[in-house]
Amino acid sequence: MEDYKFLFKVVLVGNAGVGKTCLVRRFTQGLFPPGQGATIGVDFMIKTVEVENEKVKLQIWDTAGQERFRSITQSYYRSAHALILVYDISCQPTFDCLPDWLREIEEYASNKVLRILVGNKIDREDREIPTHVGEDFAQRHGMYFLETSAKEAENVERLFMEIAAELMEQARSKELPRYETNTTSINGKTTSIGDTSNCGCSRLS
Amino acid sequence: MEDYLPNEYDVVVVGTGMTESIVAAAASRIGKKVLHLDSDEYYGGLWATFNFDGLQKWIEDLKVSKSSAKDVSEVDLELEEKFLKTSNEYSTVENIEETWYISNDADLPVVSSKDTQTDSTGDGSGSGDEKSDDDKVEKKENVKQWSIDRIRKEYRKFNIDLAPKLLFARGELVELLISSNIARYAEFRAVSRVATFMDGKLTQVPCSRADVFANKTVSVVEKRMLMQLLTSCMEQGADSPEFDGFRDKTFLEYLNTKNLTPIVQHYVVQAIAMATEKTSCRDGVNRTKHFLNSLGRYGNTPFLWPMYGSGELPQCFCRLCAVFGGVYCLKRQLDGVVIHKNKCKAIISGKQRISLEHLVLGQGHLPPEVVASEGEQRISRGIFITDKSIMQGEKENLTLLYYPPEQPDQEPVTLIELGPSTNACPQGLFMVHMTCKRTTNAKEDLAYVVNKFLKAEPLDPLAIRSSIHSHTQTVSPDKRHIQEGDQDNREESTEESPKPQVLWSLYLNLPASDIKLNESTPSNLHLCSGPDLELDFDFAVNQAKSIFESMYPDKDFLPRAPDPEEIVLEGEEAPGPKFEGDTEAEEKQDVEKAEKED
Repeated sequence: MEDYKFLFKVVLVGNAGVGKTCLVRRFTQGLFPPGQGATIGVDFMIKTVEVENEKVKLQIWDTAGQERFRSITQSYYRSAHALILVYDISCQPTFDCLPDWLREIEEYASNKVLRILVGNKIDREDREIPTHVGEDFAQRHGMYFLETSAKEAENVERLFMEIAAELMEQARSKELPRYETNTTSINGKTTSIGDTSNCGCSRLS
Repeated sequence: MEDYLPNEYDVVVVGTGMTESIVAAAASRIGKKVLHLDSDEYYGGLWATFNFDGLQKWIEDLKVSKSSAKDVSEVDLELEEKFLKTSNEYSTVENIEETWYISNDADLPVVSSKDTQTDSTGDGSGSGDEKSDDDKVEKKENVKQWSIDRIRKEYRKFNIDLAPKLLFARGELVELLISSNIARYAEFRAVSRVATFMDGKLTQVPCSRADVFANKTVSVVEKRMLMQLLTSCMEQGADSPEFDGFRDKTFLEYLNTKNLTPIVQHYVVQAIAMATEKTSCRDGVNRTKHFLNSLGRYGNTPFLWPMYGSGELPQCFCRLCAVFGGVYCLKRQLDGVVIHKNKCKAIISGKQRISLEHLVLGQGHLPPEVVASEGEQRISRGIFITDKSIMQGEKENLTLLYYPPEQPDQEPVTLIELGPSTNACPQGLFMVHMTCKRTTNAKEDLAYVVNKFLKAEPLDPLAIRSSIHSHTQTVSPDKRHIQEGDQDNREESTEESPKPQVLWSLYLNLPASDIKLNESTPSNLHLCSGPDLELDFDFAVNQAKSIFESMYPDKDFLPRAPDPEEIVLEGEEAPGPKFEGDTEAEEKQDVEKAEKED
């Protein structure tokens, strides 16, 4: 058995180039990746963190470049516990696209999914979206809000740690989106949380 | 405005159906540069799964014929090049008939409604112009809480398959999902029972050894008989001398020599082999073997159902393709292909000419010039939202029923019933899928099974709303026609439990899956068929394999993709900030490096 108590699936969306992959790699590996090519073959990243002395495993999914032509598969959103919507504070169009992303999220993600709006690249001098504008947007759409810099490692740790803490809180109070726990995962792994022992169906590989 | 795509690829795939998506993933996985396009804004083509709203849009869109591709004159061609326009005529869906059997919220008494606030969700067809008086309301009883408005409002809770398919637990697809490590993108639910219609009622077929021995309708002698027969099919296979005398005979003829009792014979033919009188002995034995082979791996039955519907599976392969660098672009139309000396050289899409080594086309994107025959295996489909299971049990079930023809002119029907736990529908409802080979049209082909197991009459004659769209001549869009049609079919009920009431139904005919290409088709143009009549995905998997083999004969087909834990990322050895310098140059290096990786 792997050594963790909770497993959460976190997915990132947002326009190409806003720094989704950089956020993930900064958090999981502590480095700022220089280019996009490195994401080839990488599906999702995993990091186990500790919240209140409990081991929490975060499975963080990136878009695999499918956002480039707005062609993300619906299945990407399935079973996500948290969803990070990212824009670039120095690039107005990435902010203007947020309503489109929200529409897609409404359509395919669970309506109980934890939503976080992230304005990335605060290291940039040429800011176009003031903090309060992002904050307003997040508030109007029932999302958490944070500004980050993947490059300077600012607020990145905090972003994921707060997500982990919040999801754990929700899991304890059973408010988490409940994905069917007795589904069969044919390779013997499952993305669902909680115990699957009483499901009456086998998980073999 | 059109997105500009890089314009050189190893493989261009058009259409995101099952076969196309597997080929795209396989090519990308071995490092080929892949472009994957679809003219629709959703994944899956005729393999797609929609929520209720999405399905309504899909139906609407079928009425509007897609803008036809450009003419040859508009395309810049080089010397000796030929331009072939592609056509969507080989993916035409026909005889669409959608019917409501319930009324709008406005017609219902206020007390019945839990969700009293009416919302403003787009009410596409049939506005609530009819009124109902109190008498009619009385009759609604158990379904009164389900109204058209409520179904529309809960649209997200529906996942409706155009081509529902199961997976054999040891079938080609399950093995492929595991060996390629794509299984991690999907979740499944085991089919909980295989049902059969026997002695005028539905019964559950004992599948496992334990089931067989616990079964009370079969005697001990019969149990032994059944086990013996199954063992010989399983262990010896169709080539065994046991079946020597039956090479050109039917499965039924073989079974008749075994002195089986009617019950045992029924189980074997109808539930396990899912055979008809015409099924050959060889096919029957192979099907029996396939069924038995898949037993005991995941659940009570040999079958799995993908959560959120069959349409999830092509997307899993697309995701893998993208993870390995495949470029995805939906809502992007293919206008035509450029042929040079019997080789497909490029495609034209919008203003772009995109060159390629291999072109993989879904059947909805073929140039008519390369098509030799349109195929005959056309499909009739019926989709029903019902208020209870066809065979009520203590817990929710996922049921498979194979129903053999009653008359010589009928086709066997496969029925899959899904409950809320598969995310096919909200709590309190069931989703019934029927599929058979087309002979006339979907509604007529399926009528004998619909009338057997469902109550497909309007709850209130005034409530019936039917919209009939079609691309060809079809049933007259006359409401009375539908009602009369239903009344013709006499009730032979008097069974214990009442039949499920249909709240909504959709009939449609899917195109043939056995299109054949000309001998003269360029050898680097590969056809991917649409959904076939079989219960599972094996046809698509095998077709994808053979396409991949013809493209890259020496390469591995979808070798296992690494788990995230196994990937050592470059730079990991020397952690720390490492972004100084010329990012652009590094970016380029990285891309090159990644491309070389495989």
